[in-house]
Amino acid sequence: MALPIMAVLVFFLILPIIMIVTVSFWQATEFSIIPAFDLENYEFLFGSNVTYRVFFNTFKYAFITWVFTLGIGFTVAYFLAFHVRTLTWQIVLFLLCTIPFWTSNIIRMISWIPFLGRNGIANSTLISWGVIDEPLDWLLFSDFAVILAFVHLYTLFMVVPIFNTMMRIDKSLIEAARDAGASGAQILWNVIIPLTKPGIMIGTIFVITLVMGDFITVRFMSGSQSANVGRLISNDIALLAYPSASATAVVLLLTVLIVIGIMLRFVDIRKEL
Amino acid sequence: MEPRSRSFYVLSAFFALFLLFLYGPTITIAILSFQGPNGGLTFPMRGTSLHWFRDLFEQQAVGDIWGSFRRSFALGLMVMVTTVVLSVMGGLAFRKRFKGSSILFYLIITSLVIPSILISLGVGLIFSQSGLDVHWSTSGFGSQLTWTLPFGLLIMLAVFNRFDKSYEEAARDLGASSWQTLRHVVLPIIGPSLIGVALFGFTLSYDEFARTLLTSGSYNTLPLEIFGMTTNVTTPVLYALGTLTTVFSLIVIAVFLCLALWSTRRKARAGSDAGKGML
Amino acid sequence: MTKVSRRSMLKGGAAFAAGTTLGAPMIWAQNIKDVTLRQFGTGVSNLNDVANKVKEDLGFTLEMTALDSDSVTQRAATQPNSFDIADIEYWICKKVWPTGNLQAMDTSKIKNYDKIVGIFRNGKLNPDSVIAQGTAPHSVGFTEGPDGKGFVDNESGWMTLIPTIYNADTLGIRPDLIGRPINNWSELLNPEFKGKASILDISSIGIMDMAMVVESMGEYTYPDKGNMTREEIDLTMKIFTEAKKNGQFRAFWKSFDESVNLMASGEVVIQSMWSPAITAVKAKGVECVYQPLEEGYRSWGGGIGLSASLTGLERDAAYEYINWYLDGWVGGYLMRQGYYSAVPETSKNYMSENEWGYWFEGKAATDTILSPTGDALAQAGEVRDGGSFQDRMGAVACWNAVMDENQYMVRKWNEFIAA
Repeated sequence: MALPIMAVLVFFLILPIIMIVTVSFWQATEFSIIPAFDLENYEFLFGSNVTYRVFFNTFKYAFITWVFTLGIGFTVAYFLAFHVRTLTWQIVLFLLCTIPFWTSNIIRMISWIPFLGRNGIANSTLISWGVIDEPLDWLLFSDFAVILAFVHLYTLFMVVPIFNTMMRIDKSLIEAARDAGASGAQILWNVIIPLTKPGIMIGTIFVITLVMGDFITVRFMSGSQSANVGRLISNDIALLAYPSASATAVVLLLTVLIVIGIMLRFVDIRKEL
Repeated sequence: MEPRSRSFYVLSAFFALFLLFLYGPTITIAILSFQGPNGGLTFPMRGTSLHWFRDLFEQQAVGDIWGSFRRSFALGLMVMVTTVVLSVMGGLAFRKRFKGSSILFYLIITSLVIPSILISLGVGLIFSQSGLDVHWSTSGFGSQLTWTLPFGLLIMLAVFNRFDKSYEEAARDLGASSWQTLRHVVLPIIGPSLIGVALFGFTLSYDEFARTLLTSGSYNTLPLEIFGMTTNVTTPVLYALGTLTTVFSLIVIAVFLCLALWSTRRKARAGSDAGKGML
Repeated sequence: MTKVSRRSMLKGGAAFAAGTTLGAPMIWAQNIKDVTLRQFGTGVSNLNDVANKVKEDLGFTLEMTALDSDSVTQRAATQPNSFDIADIEYWICKKVWPTGNLQAMDTSKIKNYDKIVGIFRNGKLNPDSVIAQGTAPHSVGFTEGPDGKGFVDNESGWMTLIPTIYNADTLGIRPDLIGRPINNWSELLNPEFKGKASILDISSIGIMDMAMVVESMGEYTYPDKGNMTREEIDLTMKIFTEAKKNGQFRAFWKSFDESVNLMASGEVVIQSMWSPAITAVKAKGVECVYQPLEEGYRSWGGGIGLSASLTGLERDAAYEYINWYLDGWVGGYLMRQGYYSAVPETSKNYMSENEWGYWFEGKAATDTILSPTGDALAQAGEVRDGGSFQDRMGAVACWNAVMDENQYMVRKWNEFIAA
């Protein structure tokens, strides 16, 4: 029964990874790639301090985005699960959160541009309120814009798993805690958060991997001015430098797998599903 | 009912702000898509009209929106059906321990977390090195499955984790073959979740960009076309398309919701027919 | 699937046609309606209007796919079966030709070959012109014979690309937001425009813009901008990386429409820009000038190449298409967007006297100048930025280039973008 799924993964997951690892040792000319065993791609990658800066940038984006999506996602899920009282309203409000998710990512991303631009809504509103005199340039084409877009795109991936685990918390546990005299904050900290941990971990895995693998958000929102590892790879691909793209991809894959491997130590996904 | 606490109102306000944050950009482009014929991609607005929606249905200076829409739709359906079938099969297989089950599970997790562009690059390289032509319905299709199958399978695992085996035992005790048990007991029970899997499969595919980037060949899918448009189009026609896709997504969700509702109703009705036998 | 079988059937039909020499034209005329040619290229010239006109005039179907420069290079180099006709730039040709994915074209089959401007044949606009630095089109425009893999520097009768389109590029500015004359390339890095400048993120083109700026600043004079040494590349990148870190640039753009949006929204007031982008900004009623600069222009050219796998009837159709392309209708269409046609004199037949005077001869418009899509681009009395064809193409300082050290340059470029 599991054979078809295995076959798909072998052909479209394992073989591509093997291919990338192989090609990362190849050489490239302007227009073709030549089989070889050459460490030059890795030497260049690790020899350039731009690489380290870009990896640092990638982690920075992932970490800041994670903090914001977790904060917002947890609060929203908590509100939906414990403060909205009827199931119908829970479903309605939950769906309301998911609707923007169905619009093309790219369109949602570029729709920030007229909002944040020098003459955009945000700036003209702030100016008309007298909060600022000059338009704020850092709203668009900056790290701020990149992280804003990430948070906008991926908070839902945090809300869904957390909401899902919260809904499965036995309400009598909370009542028991209240009867035992726990305050709201104590219940949140000592009962709800520990029980929601699996959902938080799953959401974290989603957000971290999506941000670390992204290359298009960074390009659009930074006006091509910042880079993360994904952009390094896509730039190389665009210039037909497949071997050097592959080498970067191998390093990125290892990094992501290590990060996720560490997280899986804290949660048994199979049991928590 | 106890009265609402103060934290309820604080949280409600927070939730409202969150919704505003989610919808803000969508609303921005919806407004901008109603610009006059001289409109650009940014504020200030230049007149108001339905010009860009009409324009969307005419031939563009470059590219082919509707062709790519048809391809994305077809591909979405292909991916949807495959995902549902393979996920159910996988889910059933995982109910027993089998050789390689934990390897498969970790592969699924890897498939979920691997950066999309790696799949694109790898599949593209395999096809080009073996002299095959990439095409959205072959290489593109396979690449998208590596993204939808983990979702489908994980949902099925969750469903079967909570599946009450006594139904099947009862069916078997009544002399049902394993196929009959599957067809008449298991599938109807997991039906609503299958709609969820189908919905995931379709929309994840319909919206997939990075995995199709290097694997779709000569003909663009809709997200690739939209990406092309962001670099080739300077008019609000792009926003009109965005507004329309949002509306289209809403319709798809509504259809699936109705299906889910209808199937639970039918099941409820069928439940009351208990005793009339299953054939 | 249906398409594959139709295509293979066509090949059979072509063999038949070739066998019956005299009767051939009749069969040919019938068959050609079923031919479908797949063309790809940048959005600049892959216009659906052209495909429609081909259907009308020649009867066969042209499928157009528009991509950005990098994707175009990629597809031409790696997916030879995905296209029949490649509409690419000459610097891309320098990269792609050695792959053997394109076939040489017989100039004796090109009706207007003799009327093609000198730039594409011997490199000289006028007999006494000096050839500009960089990858000049004529230097990669000819190969030794039907199976040639290299380039030759004479008119060998076998072309790699049939030239179609070209222009002289310079900086675009927003005069209303700058408020003073701009005369030099060095203004791009002037701190006055901090956070309001932009440059394009396509290495082979961007590096030439950078070189123009560096020379204009007086930092360095390159022996040959079009073929820098590693040290020269490092020096150029260093100057621009510093400017980037100081916040000189608002954004980088990759396709000309991005530059339109940056300019029209006022995010950027000075940037490297292409001619139709200026046209598009103006069409939105925003003031924008394609500023001629003292140091001259950075020029580019594009042409049509045939896939190596194209044979028989389809190849005949492709030659027919090329001859039609040079016959003037497309040329006029492109000229009215601000580009130049490879055979200007045929284009003249498809332009009004006013249009020809404005776009080509640099005369003041006698009436409103309209774009091919009907937007007003200039009013009576206005003169084209930079003047006449001779003034503009005569002041070309360099061509978009692929250098010997290209791979090194590309890596350094990537670092510049990531810095």
